[in-house]
Amino acid sequence: MTDQRMHDSVSPGRRGSRRLTGKRLVAGMLAAVFGLGAIAAIAAETQVFDPKTREWVSYDRKKALKYYARNNQVPEAFRRQIVPFRTAEKPGTIIIDGNMHYLYLVQPGHKAIRYGIGVGREGFGWAGIVRVGRTAEWPTWTPPAEMVARDPSARPWANGMPGGPDNPLGARALYLYEGDRDTIYRIHGTPEPWTIGLDVSSGCIRMNNDDIVDLHSRIDVGAKVIVLMQGAALYKGV
Amino acid sequence: MRIFLQGLTGSLLAAGVATAASGPALAADLVVAMPNWPSGQASANIIGLGIAYKFGLDVEVREMGTLTAFSGLDHGQVDVHPEVWRPNLDNLVKKYADDKGSVTVSLRGVPAWQGLCATPEAAETVGIRDVKDLNDPEKTAALDTDGDGKGELWIGAPTWSSTGIERVRANSYGYAENLTLVEAEEEVGMAAVDAAVATGRPMVFACYAPHHVFKLHDIVRLEEPEHDDAKWKIVAPADDPLWIQKSSAPVAWDIAHFHVAYAGALAEDHPDVAAFLEKIDFTPAEVTDMTYALQVDRRDPKEYAAEWIASHADRLNEWAKP
Repeated sequence: MTDQRMHDSVSPGRRGSRRLTGKRLVAGMLAAVFGLGAIAAIAAETQVFDPKTREWVSYDRKKALKYYARNNQVPEAFRRQIVPFRTAEKPGTIIIDGNMHYLYLVQPGHKAIRYGIGVGREGFGWAGIVRVGRTAEWPTWTPPAEMVARDPSARPWANGMPGGPDNPLGARALYLYEGDRDTIYRIHGTPEPWTIGLDVSSGCIRMNNDDIVDLHSRIDVGAKVIVLMQGAALYKGV
Repeated sequence: MRIFLQGLTGSLLAAGVATAASGPALAADLVVAMPNWPSGQASANIIGLGIAYKFGLDVEVREMGTLTAFSGLDHGQVDVHPEVWRPNLDNLVKKYADDKGSVTVSLRGVPAWQGLCATPEAAETVGIRDVKDLNDPEKTAALDTDGDGKGELWIGAPTWSSTGIERVRANSYGYAENLTLVEAEEEVGMAAVDAAVATGRPMVFACYAPHHVFKLHDIVRLEEPEHDDAKWKIVAPADDPLWIQKSSAPVAWDIAHFHVAYAGALAEDHPDVAAFLEKIDFTPAEVTDMTYALQVDRRDPKEYAAEWIASHADRLNEWAKP
C-alpha cells in the first residue's frame, strides 16, 4: 500500500490475531475441477461433488474412510494435480489455503502443483509468512507431554517414536521457521491418507505420504511459505 | 564521465549506469535513489539510464529507504528520487521542499488510486459491486472463510497507516459489523486473491493502483461515494490513541499522486537534467506494466529499463528537449 513507501523495511510475519470460532467453514472446492461455481460449494463442512448424482455431498470422516476404502485414494479434488495459478510469487513458493484444504507449490508459467491437505480442527488461527527451516525423512515423532498424560496409547512413545509407516508424521516433515526460530508448525505426511480434505482432530498440515515425498523432493530449505488468513488453522506440534 | 553509448539494449546496459551491487569504484556524477517496491525500482533504473543516455553522465542507481533518500537529497549524496507519494510523504515534502528548499518535487504526478476491490466471483456471482453491498449480511456471508458466518476482508498490512484508515472507513460505512477485518502482509493478501481466483471464490480486499494485481486478475473496483474533504475526518494517530474510534470517513479516498523529486543542487549544476526530470510523465498504465514486469515476470530492473528506453525513444527525446 502506498504508506509502505514510508517504511524502510518490510515487517515480519504477524501471528495469532484471530482465534477461530465455531465450526470452520470449509468450501468444498472443485470449481476448477468440475467447472461449477464455487459459491454453491460453500457449506458448513467439507463438501465434494459426486459426479454420479451430480450433487454436492458432505465429506466427513466416515465418508472419507468409506471413499478411501472403495477407491484406495482421496476424491479427485484432493489429489495432486497441476492447476492454473496466476501469482506474483516466484516458483518454489508454498501457499497454504487451509480453508480449501489445498497446498500450492508455485511453478513457472502461471501454474502450481496443488496438493490436498488435512488441517487442524480448531486452535491457532494465523496468517503470515514463514519458511522451510529444515526437513526430515521418516522423522521421529515425540508426543507432547499433555498427550502422553491424556492418551495411554501415546505413553510408549514418550521419548520418541521412530520414523516408519505408523508414525503420525509420515514419510517426510518440513519444519516451518519464522526467521531462525522454529515455529513448531510442520507440514508432514500421515499414515491416515483418508484424512486429507478434512479438519482432523490433531495435526499441523498433513499430506498423504506420496504427496509429502513429492513436495519434499521439489522444494529447497529456505522456501517461502505463505499461510493465508482464511481459516488458517494450524496446530502446535502434532 | 563515461563514454556514452547509443543504440541497442545491450549497449544501453553497458552505458553509464552502475548499481551499488557492482561496488563503489569511482564516484558517479549523479545518484538516483531506488526504493524497494517494484515500480520505484523500474522507474529509478529508467531515469538513471535515461540521464546517462541523454546527457552522458555517469549515474549510480542505489537502493535505499525513503527517509535516507530525502536526507541524501538534502545533504548532496543523492540527486533524484523517482517516486515520492503525496499526500503520504507530505511531511517530508514540507520539511525539505517547502521549508528548507533543498529538494524540488516535480509538478507532474502520476495519479494513484486506493479503495476496495472484488474478485470476479464477488462482483458477478455475489453481486458486490458497490461499497453499499458490504452492508448486506447475506452478501458478505459469501466471503466467510472460517465458518463463523461472517465474511473476511483484508484491509492491508499492519505497518501501513492506510490500514487504520480502512478500519475507520469500515466503521463509518457500517460494514465492520458484518465483516471481520483482517490485517496481514501484502504478500499474504495478494496470495489470498490468487488462491480465491484459482478456485473461483469471492473475495473483497483493500487495494491500490497502479498495481500489478489488476493485470494479473480481472479485479473489480467497488463504487463509493466521491471523496469529500468535509466528510473525511481522520484524527492524527500521533495525537490520540483512540483515533480510529474518533475518526470518520464514509467516502472514497482522495486521489493520490507520486512525483519525481530532485536535489536543489542538481537544478543548479545540471539544469538540463532537472528540466528532463520535470517532463517525465509516466502514465498509470505504464507504471502497472512496470510492476507487473518486475514482480510477476521477475524481470531484472536494469534490463527492463534498457528495453523500456530502447522502445520509448520518442518519449525520451520529448523529455530531453531543451
